[in-house]
Amino acid sequence: MNWECCWAKEKIAPDECPYIAEGEKELCSSLGKRVVEKCVECPRFKTDLRKLRDMGYPLTGILPHILAEFADQRAQLLSMGSFLDSKTREINFLHELGVVLQTSMDLDEVLSVAMTAITAGKGFAMNRAFLLLADKERQFLEGHLGVGPRTYEEAWQTWADIDRNNFTLKEMAKHFYDTKLSSEKAKFHDLLERLTVPLADEQHILNRVLNDSKPVLVENASAQPELYGSFAEILGSSSFIIVPLISRKRRIGLIIADNCFTHKPITLQDMQSLETFSFPVAFAIERASLYERLQEEVDKLTSANLKLQEQQELIVKMEKMALVGKITSNIAHSIRNPLMIIGGFARSLLKTVAEQDPKREYLESIVRETRQLEEVLGEVLTYSDSLYPTMDSWDVNQLVSNVCQGLSEKFQERKIQCSLELGPDLPTVYIDYKQISYCLRTILNDSVEAIAGAGEIRLATMRNDDYVILAISDSSRKSELPAGETAASHLFPRQESSSSLGLPLCATIFEKNGIPFAIDYGDDGMSVTIKLPITREA
Amino acid sequence: MAKILVVDDESSIRFLYSQELAEEGHEVLTAATALEASEILQAQPVELLVLDIKLKNESGLDLLQKLVKERHNLPVILCTAFSCYRDDFSAWLADGYVVKSSDLQELKDEIKRVLAKRSR
Repeated sequence: MNWECCWAKEKIAPDECPYIAEGEKELCSSLGKRVVEKCVECPRFKTDLRKLRDMGYPLTGILPHILAEFADQRAQLLSMGSFLDSKTREINFLHELGVVLQTSMDLDEVLSVAMTAITAGKGFAMNRAFLLLADKERQFLEGHLGVGPRTYEEAWQTWADIDRNNFTLKEMAKHFYDTKLSSEKAKFHDLLERLTVPLADEQHILNRVLNDSKPVLVENASAQPELYGSFAEILGSSSFIIVPLISRKRRIGLIIADNCFTHKPITLQDMQSLETFSFPVAFAIERASLYERLQEEVDKLTSANLKLQEQQELIVKMEKMALVGKITSNIAHSIRNPLMIIGGFARSLLKTVAEQDPKREYLESIVRETRQLEEVLGEVLTYSDSLYPTMDSWDVNQLVSNVCQGLSEKFQERKIQCSLELGPDLPTVYIDYKQISYCLRTILNDSVEAIAGAGEIRLATMRNDDYVILAISDSSRKSELPAGETAASHLFPRQESSSSLGLPLCATIFEKNGIPFAIDYGDDGMSVTIKLPITREA
Repeated sequence: MAKILVVDDESSIRFLYSQELAEEGHEVLTAATALEASEILQAQPVELLVLDIKLKNESGLDLLQKLVKERHNLPVILCTAFSCYRDDFSAWLADGYVVKSSDLQELKDEIKRVLAKRSR
């Protein structure tokens, strides 16, 4: 018999059956498989069956029924296989998300994973998703994050990018977290603000869903304004799902998702899948939020602990300083009173002793020595004060004017002209006023002593970056320096043999306060430049 | 010239001030303690008080506060071995502040300044 179909041949050539495709060549040598997969639906086989029936074979009458049932059963099997495949993919997907959600303590990372999963084609494939979270005070349901395109152009661009990159879901979430999280927040800022509702507004659709703890699939919302109010208008979409995020009966927030660009219908199956997904998301968000708050509290505690340590150190330091201050102060009292009595009476007696009286020389000597001792005592006490400076913002021009005014009589006595060139509109400087006044006074006194006869001292102030420069120069000091000495070591000697504490103390004060200073001896005389910082940081 | 009360626990200092201020033409009264000073102030009018801060077992600043409360018009100059009290709020109640020195010129100038200010 000449059959049209190949069902009667054990083996066939590939071109004998037009329904065998590339990659199915093993069917050519396997009759059983070929009959089940190809012949039962082959029109040629049906022609052969008709021929057999015409030839009077009785079984050919019932074979079409068996074949129809077989095709139906096979279609069901295929459908179930496809369903199982889809469920397997979903389980794998949820497992992948679950791992991230269960391990991450970073709220932004959790949100990135959740929102990517909802909007990615490899996830729930929704066009847009919005996350609303209850605020800390539980007053508002606040729009927190929106994900998805805002325009059709952006939508096509995004989907093209996704196709090109072929990221896994995890990679997409990481990419979103690293590069797009803040821009997405900004992109939907206006919409998120408008979506925010007070938790007390129990009639609002969002609060109703949250309070019922059940997801809602809304279709054609614009036709039901009494139910959804202006919500659909704000969202710009008529069909959407609202899924509550509940963790241990605690209302965390809501997810709203729609397909406003593709208009693909949202199914009950979509809603159920999202609901299943929402449980671990809500739990992860709550845990990350709690962790964030815990971290804030830990930071506060650490900072408080640090402050406490600093305060303890400060107290110990201040106790030491107070002790030093008390000791020096008591010494000062014990020495200054007798000094004053000795020097005071010597001065009194001096007034009554005639010019030619030999006792006058003794008395002058007492007066001179007590004056020197009083000066040294004053410097020791200044050093004691310098141990704990009182920093504040001061007008440097005012400081210079005050110090010069205090020395004006001395300048007149010594026929020294003091000229000021004070810069206008200078910012205040951050210094210990008393200490810097003392330094300036000491430097000027030193200049006065160094100038032989009449001379000039110039003081100038000017702005230079983060500093105000105070420049002091005298015209009469000789420019020669002793061999082996720098200008600084000469003007601010540190040797123990130095007769005055004043200038070395100035150098110490400048160094302790981080105030740069420089001394220069030129042909025109000596100049000291002091850089006073404008701000605390300088 | 004025009637000045000097309060200092050191007798030599009281004596020195008496001599020097009398030379300037002032009438000088002295007291070693706050109690003595109070008694003098109750007994007769005084135009200026020169007050030490560290008295034996007392504080001149306490006496200053008491005087400010009771005798609003009495000018006070603090004359002390300590420069640190210049920044003490209590010391700001005084009309003048002089650190003790063998050269009494500063004290004399301060007395002139305070008296001139009061007479205006």
